[in-house]
Amino acid sequence: MSGRRVMEQLVNDRPAGPRPITDLQLVLKKAFNPSKQRRFALDLEFSAPAGVTVIFGPSGSGKTTILQCLAGLVEPDAGSIAVTGETLFDSERKINLAPQDRRVGYVFQDLALFPHMTAADNIGFGIRENGDVKSGMVLDILERFSILHVSRHRPDEISGGERQRVALARALVTRPRLLLLDEPFSALDDELKLAIISDLKQWLAQNAIPVLFVTHDRAEAAALGERTLVVKDGRVVGEVQIDNGR
Amino acid sequence: MNWQAFELTARLASLTALILVAVGIPLALWVAFSPRRWKFLIEAVVGMPLVLPPTVLGFYLLVAFGSGTALGRWYERTTGGTLAFTFSGLLAASVLYSLPFAVHPMVAGFRGVDSRLLDAARTLGASRWKIYFRIVLPLAWPGLLTGLMLSFAHTVGEFGVVLMVGGNIPGATRTLSIDIYDQVQSLNYASANQTALVLLLFSYALLCVVYSMNRRSLLWGSR
Repeated sequence: MSGRRVMEQLVNDRPAGPRPITDLQLVLKKAFNPSKQRRFALDLEFSAPAGVTVIFGPSGSGKTTILQCLAGLVEPDAGSIAVTGETLFDSERKINLAPQDRRVGYVFQDLALFPHMTAADNIGFGIRENGDVKSGMVLDILERFSILHVSRHRPDEISGGERQRVALARALVTRPRLLLLDEPFSALDDELKLAIISDLKQWLAQNAIPVLFVTHDRAEAAALGERTLVVKDGRVVGEVQIDNGR
Repeated sequence: MNWQAFELTARLASLTALILVAVGIPLALWVAFSPRRWKFLIEAVVGMPLVLPPTVLGFYLLVAFGSGTALGRWYERTTGGTLAFTFSGLLAASVLYSLPFAVHPMVAGFRGVDSRLLDAARTLGASRWKIYFRIVLPLAWPGLLTGLMLSFAHTVGEFGVVLMVGGNIPGATRTLSIDIYDQVQSLNYASANQTALVLLLFSYALLCVVYSMNRRSLLWGSR
């Protein structure tokens, strides 16, 4: 199947129907990103409803820094972040929840799977429950993402697509209230993207949360996103509502 | 072979290495992850034994252990004895002298842990302790083990500091390296050769283990 047809099929598979009002509100000013040793002149304000909002923009425009601010890994100089009504960050009110307390799922560009743990241990790492409850949650999501057969394998022993699924499952099993995807499909071929995006869309159909999806790939953006924010030099320079003919 | 010196050296090196694991891991964690700008001052103190002549360190420790200092007087009041020319004094001196040999590989081990993994663990709700025990320690273990082994081996081979702080008291402070020196002074080359050969083979075997471990950890990182 060609890449274009794969993406057309994904666009047509988009889940329909009303979703509960759960959204993200964000105002960000400058932020120093220690991992990049660079200060980003962010100056943006937007809100995102439940569903997938694509953040599109050239390299170095601050897309990843926006996600890191949302996850609490980078502290902006000023601004505020609220998800489903709860404030995660507010510079004026001196609120800054630790990443541990934000309940934000994050799939990193390089996946950041723990190399010394099995797929099941990676997925179970963030679950607070113990014993049978934890095992049951891990088993459920392993089955849901079709990776039960690799549960006892370490990341270096499984394929790229399976690693991708493990990373997604690990972020979703904790039932986050906001999901951040930082170009997670960039290393996959179209067939794998089709399968994984399809799994993700099914999960999102049942769990209405805001998702911010950073990508360079227009076809991916069209397949998964419902609206696109174009970011350049730390500012939102355009907003596109994706019309899938629904 | 002087078995009394052998036993004393093994005891000294084992205790030094154990203390350095307990002291060195928190210190190495702080050096590896602390954002403090002035931490180079502490790093320089830790690294001093690498460049200081052992006699300089030994001299100042001897002075510090004496009854002319607060430390020496406190130790005398507490234990009724002195630190100078005793096994305890030798142990304290060995811990200080071998500190960089333990801490530097540990720092390298901690710094080698991909910060992305720590970020991922934080977004998954893990506490600082959980991140430390489940991510940092398991991934930094080659560095920790290297620190442990190098501090053990370095203590086995100490000479200048041992002689300055401990002297040459059989059963209390005479280690294998002092014993070799003694044998040479007595022109007993055969006995000196025997002990020296044991130390040579031991050092070689230990370094083989260290380098083999580092190679495996590099392979792990490249997978």
